[in-house]
Amino acid sequence: MPGSLVEYAVRITRLSYSYPDGNQALESIDLDIRAGERVALVGPSGAGKSTLLLQLNGILRGSGLVRVMGQSVGDGDLKLIRRQVGLVFQDPNDQLFCPTVFEDVAFGPLNLDVPRQEIQKRVEQALIDVKLDYSYASRSAHHLSHGERKRVALATVLAMEPAILALDEPTSNLDPSNRRHLIELVACLPATLILATHDLEMVLALCSRTVVMNHGKIQAEGETRALLENAGLMEKHGLEVPLSLRNRSA
Amino acid sequence: MKHSFIDRYAHLDSPLHMLEARTKIIGFMALVIAVLTVRAGGVGHFFILFFLISILAGISQIPMPYVVGRTLLLLPFVLLAGLAAPWKGSAGWSWFLLLVMRSVLCLLVLVILTNTTRFVELLRGLRKLGCPKLVVANLSFLYRYLFVLADEAMRMKQARDCRRVGRAGIFAELRTLGSMLGTLMVRSFEHADQMYRAMLSRGFSGEFMVIAPRKCSWRDLVFIAVVAVIIAATLYL
Amino acid sequence: MHLPDGFLTNRIAFSLDALSGASILFAARRVKQEFSARVVPVMGVFSAFIFAAQMLNFPLFGGTSGHLVGGALLGIVLGPMAGFLTMATVVIAQALFLQDGGLVAIGANLFNIAALPAFLGYFVYRMLGAPNAPGSRLSIAGFLAGWLSVVAAAAACAVELGLSSAVPMSVGLPAMAGYHAVIGVFEGLLTALVISFLARVRPDLLKKEFSPAFGITDWVGAIVLVAAPLSILVLAGSSQLPDPLQALLTEPSAASGSQESLLSPARYSDLQRFLIYLVLLGVCVVAYSAARILRIRRGRP
Repeated sequence: MPGSLVEYAVRITRLSYSYPDGNQALESIDLDIRAGERVALVGPSGAGKSTLLLQLNGILRGSGLVRVMGQSVGDGDLKLIRRQVGLVFQDPNDQLFCPTVFEDVAFGPLNLDVPRQEIQKRVEQALIDVKLDYSYASRSAHHLSHGERKRVALATVLAMEPAILALDEPTSNLDPSNRRHLIELVACLPATLILATHDLEMVLALCSRTVVMNHGKIQAEGETRALLENAGLMEKHGLEVPLSLRNRSA
Repeated sequence: MKHSFIDRYAHLDSPLHMLEARTKIIGFMALVIAVLTVRAGGVGHFFILFFLISILAGISQIPMPYVVGRTLLLLPFVLLAGLAAPWKGSAGWSWFLLLVMRSVLCLLVLVILTNTTRFVELLRGLRKLGCPKLVVANLSFLYRYLFVLADEAMRMKQARDCRRVGRAGIFAELRTLGSMLGTLMVRSFEHADQMYRAMLSRGFSGEFMVIAPRKCSWRDLVFIAVVAVIIAATLYL
Repeated sequence: MHLPDGFLTNRIAFSLDALSGASILFAARRVKQEFSARVVPVMGVFSAFIFAAQMLNFPLFGGTSGHLVGGALLGIVLGPMAGFLTMATVVIAQALFLQDGGLVAIGANLFNIAALPAFLGYFVYRMLGAPNAPGSRLSIAGFLAGWLSVVAAAAACAVELGLSSAVPMSVGLPAMAGYHAVIGVFEGLLTALVISFLARVRPDLLKKEFSPAFGITDWVGAIVLVAAPLSILVLAGSSQLPDPLQALLTEPSAASGSQESLLSPARYSDLQRFLIYLVLLGVCVVAYSAARILRIRRGRP
């Protein structure tokens, strides 16, 4: 459950990271996210958004300080961190690796030593949260459509009841109807939200704060509407003012 | 891509389908071993076992043409063995018959087992019977990723076929195939990397946790009892 | 080349089951000790890779087609132990999905198709200087690894059939080894092509390690693993345990003289025997049909 005792869900101080092949992916990132906040990470491809998300649960480790729910992501027990951060990747295929949906959704809680009786409840609740009927539980991922897989991927993470949800391109490759459903779904979730995305209309709908990234650095940060209306800023970083804002400012 | 070759008839409804995987694995293995221990002159024993297996096949609702089709798998080995039969004199043809009977019966048992048990259930049964977690995990990842990679392979094949003009020589074919396999391999590594990250993100630390499979019911006990009686009959009569 | 049940004597089949089973347990423990979590997704996805790779055919003589088997390739890319485990998964899945290979014969198939190619392929590849050798040497190493693994697997299969008297070695060995020496050329070529592709495009992948280096425990383990079933085989061979396949051949008259009961075939003439077999077959067909029809009539709509 979201920890109401912690003021900041995420505190990042001077984080830098280079990939093993030398590519500098992140340069001196400073970012604070309050508990319960909804923040969007926008920027062109290659800006470092996904890399930043992977720092949150210790899959990638750079220099600098990353604190999640008050705990530093270091060499300590990463399980505690990973219990708190629900990371959903862009391609659902690699997130669903068990023979049935039930096992995929149960995978997280099982690893977190949730007692057996609880697991059934968690799976049921997670499927309800993503508005999928329980009959999906016995089906295999390869029989599902892309939209259904995206929802199951989200469910696999919700079953762990994380305080923070980090979603990488949640609406990519979704048809308009599925996209709308996903946005509505995410809007109902209580966790702190970090969205890395190109979908600026979704950002407008869900996130109060936006961070613009490019070349591994934070280029701008502030209230969503103000940032997205700024045509010069948007174009400078490979983005565009979203359609709904363009009509207004015209 | 069609997924029909796995679990093709496993979704049917029959008493055999309702048995727990463990029971079936043990029961059918016992049948196979019984068939393999039938002595040379034991036509009667073969008959009893064949009788039982026919009934099992009938109960299982698996279509006959499919079952018969599977026996074609035995053909290469039967032919090889058949080549050697004339040399063995008078005992040769009895021996050949024995060989054919053994292999056909064992194959029938295997076909019934695999087509009355959904793969996921089979894995749970194997795990409960002591199969190492790593092997079971591998099998379940194989099942899951088979279609992902097969689809990628088929798409590459289509792309290749679109660009193929005329009949290239065998070496050109092999070279293209080599590149396709290489690309598929690289993609496999990438899938594995992403999957590993996803597993880590959900708390994986090396050990697989499993949920217990279905419990035994009275059907399982009945099945085991029947099989045990038949096998005892064949061994002691 | 997957052996069905029934062609091997029980002695050989069970000893190979023990050998393969113990090898899997051993390799699984060693691989997990050294690489823990990281290697699991790799092996899983690569089992799927082999299955998918075997679906990509190339045309062979006379309308048939061939495909990569992949044991040696796995041994080279994943190392011998992880490669063996991956290929073993494929062999088990082939038996379960496609009924390719029998239940009791699984040990022999695991040995022939998974263990031999993975280990042999790896060692041949290593002996030729890889992975740090220049490109052409890598290709030759890959070719030899692939070719040898196929021939060795076929030869082992022929030896097992020969020892079981199912197919005499004078027939089986040249037939299987010879045929596969030709087929194996394609395996070798494909293995070499994939290796050289990787060397050009992703050389880092060829340098990855997924199998622990062979240490003292591994050698001791290997010796015990091989010696134990072999000694059982030898010991059992000298006992009076009857093996159906061989008993009939060594004492052809014993079978007919052993039981003077109604069940003994020798009491009847050939024609009578043939008719009796037909009747028995008919009874089984009736039993099958009855079971099927009863089930349909009692079944839910």
